[in-house]
Amino acid sequence: MTLDIRGLSKFYGTYQALKDIDLSVGENEFVCLLGPSGCGKTTLLRAIAGLESFEGGQMMLGGRDLATIGARDRGFGIVFQSYSLFPHMTVAQNIGYGLKLRRKSPTQISARVAEMLALVRLEDFADRLPWQLSGGQQQRVAIARALAAEPALLLLDEPLSALDARVRAGLRSEIRQMQKRLGIPTIMVTHDQEEALTMADKVVCMSAGRIEQIGSPSEIYTRPATRFVADFVGSSTLLSPARARAFGAAPPADAPAGSQGDDRLFALRPEDVLIRPDASAPGLVRSITFLGNVSRIEVDWQGEIILAETHRLPEFAEGATVSLSLQPGAGAWVRA
Amino acid sequence: MSAGEKRVSRGLDTPFEERLFQRVLLLVPLAGLALFFLYPLSIVVWRSFQQGDGTTGLGNYREILGLDHLWRVVSNSLVMSGLTAVICVGLGLVIAYALSRTRIPLRWLVTLALILPLLAPSLVQALGLIFMFGRNGLLTSLLGVQVQIYGLPGLVIANSLYALPQAVMILAVALRHADRRQYDAALVLGASPWRRFVDITLPGLRFGLLSAGFVCFTVTITDFGNAAVIGGNYRVLASEIYAQVVGQMNFNMGAVVGILLLIPTLLAFYLEKVAGLRGGSSEGAIPVEPDRWAPRDIPLWILTHLTALFVIAIVAVVIFASFVQLWPYRMSLTLKNYNITTQGGYDPLWTSLYASLITAVFGTAMLFALVLAQRKMPGWSARLVYLLAIVPVGVPGLVLGLSYVLSFNVRPVFPGILYGSALLIAFCNFYHYHSQGFLTMVTGIRNVPQPLEETVTTIGGGLWANLRDAVIPIMVPTLISVFFFLFMRGMVTLSAVIFLITPKLSVGAVSVMRLDQAGSSTQAAAFAVLIMITVLAAMGLMRLLLIWQSRRSRARAAG
Repeated sequence: MTLDIRGLSKFYGTYQALKDIDLSVGENEFVCLLGPSGCGKTTLLRAIAGLESFEGGQMMLGGRDLATIGARDRGFGIVFQSYSLFPHMTVAQNIGYGLKLRRKSPTQISARVAEMLALVRLEDFADRLPWQLSGGQQQRVAIARALAAEPALLLLDEPLSALDARVRAGLRSEIRQMQKRLGIPTIMVTHDQEEALTMADKVVCMSAGRIEQIGSPSEIYTRPATRFVADFVGSSTLLSPARARAFGAAPPADAPAGSQGDDRLFALRPEDVLIRPDASAPGLVRSITFLGNVSRIEVDWQGEIILAETHRLPEFAEGATVSLSLQPGAGAWVRA
Repeated sequence: MSAGEKRVSRGLDTPFEERLFQRVLLLVPLAGLALFFLYPLSIVVWRSFQQGDGTTGLGNYREILGLDHLWRVVSNSLVMSGLTAVICVGLGLVIAYALSRTRIPLRWLVTLALILPLLAPSLVQALGLIFMFGRNGLLTSLLGVQVQIYGLPGLVIANSLYALPQAVMILAVALRHADRRQYDAALVLGASPWRRFVDITLPGLRFGLLSAGFVCFTVTITDFGNAAVIGGNYRVLASEIYAQVVGQMNFNMGAVVGILLLIPTLLAFYLEKVAGLRGGSSEGAIPVEPDRWAPRDIPLWILTHLTALFVIAIVAVVIFASFVQLWPYRMSLTLKNYNITTQGGYDPLWTSLYASLITAVFGTAMLFALVLAQRKMPGWSARLVYLLAIVPVGVPGLVLGLSYVLSFNVRPVFPGILYGSALLIAFCNFYHYHSQGFLTMVTGIRNVPQPLEETVTTIGGGLWANLRDAVIPIMVPTLISVFFFLFMRGMVTLSAVIFLITPKLSVGAVSVMRLDQAGSSTQAAAFAVLIMITVLAAMGLMRLLLIWQSRRSRARAAG
């Protein structure tokens, strides 16, 4: 079943929280809604869950109109940042909760619970209460609970944000593998670009209630469509068309004839900028920031700050003069 | 979509039965508020304009305001409550500070002193003061010094003892909201302890002090018990209203004084709300650890413990008096005071127990329904319901009781049939304490995490599943607390029910007053002790239930 959203709008009074959202989620697809806080990504997820209403547009799941189906009848699974386990129920009771609501027989429930416990590798914790588990374990229980009733769609609302870095990295790949194995279409909300890029089949980049760009993680990173995406995902230097031409960038392919793409900006990733010490060049090293595997260098290039990266420790110091050149095929034209 | 087009919300589908249930949850408590709060109160207002000759007008007001002694009564009330508020805020600050910022020894003694006034009707403090300092008082005969305890001094002391725990509670909460990092920063910058107190502690307490002052002022200006027992010839508004209504059967004049009594309380209530809005607590503050500093601690501790001992002594002397053969002539001990046959004997105690149970059961159910409905409502209507639910705190018990007489002591079968029943007393007590119960419920329901409920909904659970699995398990401690709060208040309150008793039906707190007025002060003491024991038992039961409840949820894991 695929989820199809066309022209969705959501208002809070006169404030428009979602503007004309078009999105489809295919079978087996893992979609990440990525954006800064307040961009509407959580509102969109909640509207899909049926926890928020919407005023304009259409939402269909496999031909059924979701506007007429309430949250409890949509048959989705949801996982929140705050785990939200029933504090008075054991792990097994939490996981079997949806099946119990569906009046399944105790044998069916316990079989499915055992299956889910194995899936999230918590077989030995069936009789524990939530407060006896770590954050990561609690979140795995929440995921198992959401999956137990075989949801048509799995919704994850920043599921990893409350966990510490190591647990988060582990659970990230675990969720991804589970989703691939079960083939459940999944939508995850996150503000963490690394999370979105590593987990998703499709990244939906949102800002101010609008979708800025939809694409695979590599498309989003290498070919950002708008200035916002170029800025929000990774870091970029945004150059004016004139400056970009000076670096030898080709004008945008889709620019109207005669125009040199003056309404565009040229987004340049720091790793695409090659930097070489050169006493006669106009570049001046403003600062060098050591980040471990790379060093980030800010270069003052004729009054404009350009970001570059080196993988080795740079063989020049702050204040040195350098020359810059671009990797072949570097950069992307974005809408300003 | 064009701006003029009407927008229709879609995608939220609530089944009809659930919407109906939500309606019922809202309308039943609101109907209760309308019938047992708004309606009686409007009758008071209306009756205050009913003149002796049957016409409507400002005659009653003109007459009352023209009385010479009224202005003395008003200024008496203001002086008495003002003094009480100042004393309570001062001592309250000392005690709250000693408890939360110093390592005070014998902490349980102070805690005990703060709990005692909650256990008994307010007139127990007055009773104790008379046993201690009255004409035949223990200290009077021991020291041979005659203190003029009746009148303003006794009233101020008794009311201060009664209101002090509330001041301490408010100030202790305000002290708890302070952030240790501010103190650390000031220390590093070189501020002395005194500077830190003046520059950090006091500004942080501003609203707490204001709020404590208003609360003490409000609860004492309308208190009837102490005024009746120890007020003597010092007439205050509370005794005036009683004299007008019960003494002279002048209901319309009583209504006017009732309205006058509303003014200071509503004003204080409003100011306190304003202060409360501005005194927002800082989230994520690191609590300030108690420390030691002798020059500060020793005077604080002495003052705190002396106050605590005084409170305990006053209650202790009442307990002692309840066993005395013939105060003050034969001080040998006996149980005969507990053999109460006059003033209805023990019947009023059973009535109190019965009515308080109804108050607790009915009240908890109503308040739970109201918060369940209120939190699902859109902004402005939720605020309206909230306001309506907390307005009763601004209406003194005496005025509420009077309004019940005027509304329910009437000829038509309904609502007249309720008059003279324990049920009406139960309702009166519930709506008297409606606001405090409601606020506790609101705090409790805010602890129910929204994602938990949304999880239930998404998994496929309806309203019932939500209540059973998400809301009630988390609300149990709150429900227990509200139940026992209403029960305990119902057992000890006097001012609201003083008008609702009939020759056939009385309650415990009234018996204490009646026995004292009839000259059997030791029997009054005995009756008061029995009320205290009942309330203490209820309080113990509540603690046990709360402990058992929190253990049970943990024990499930082991089993």
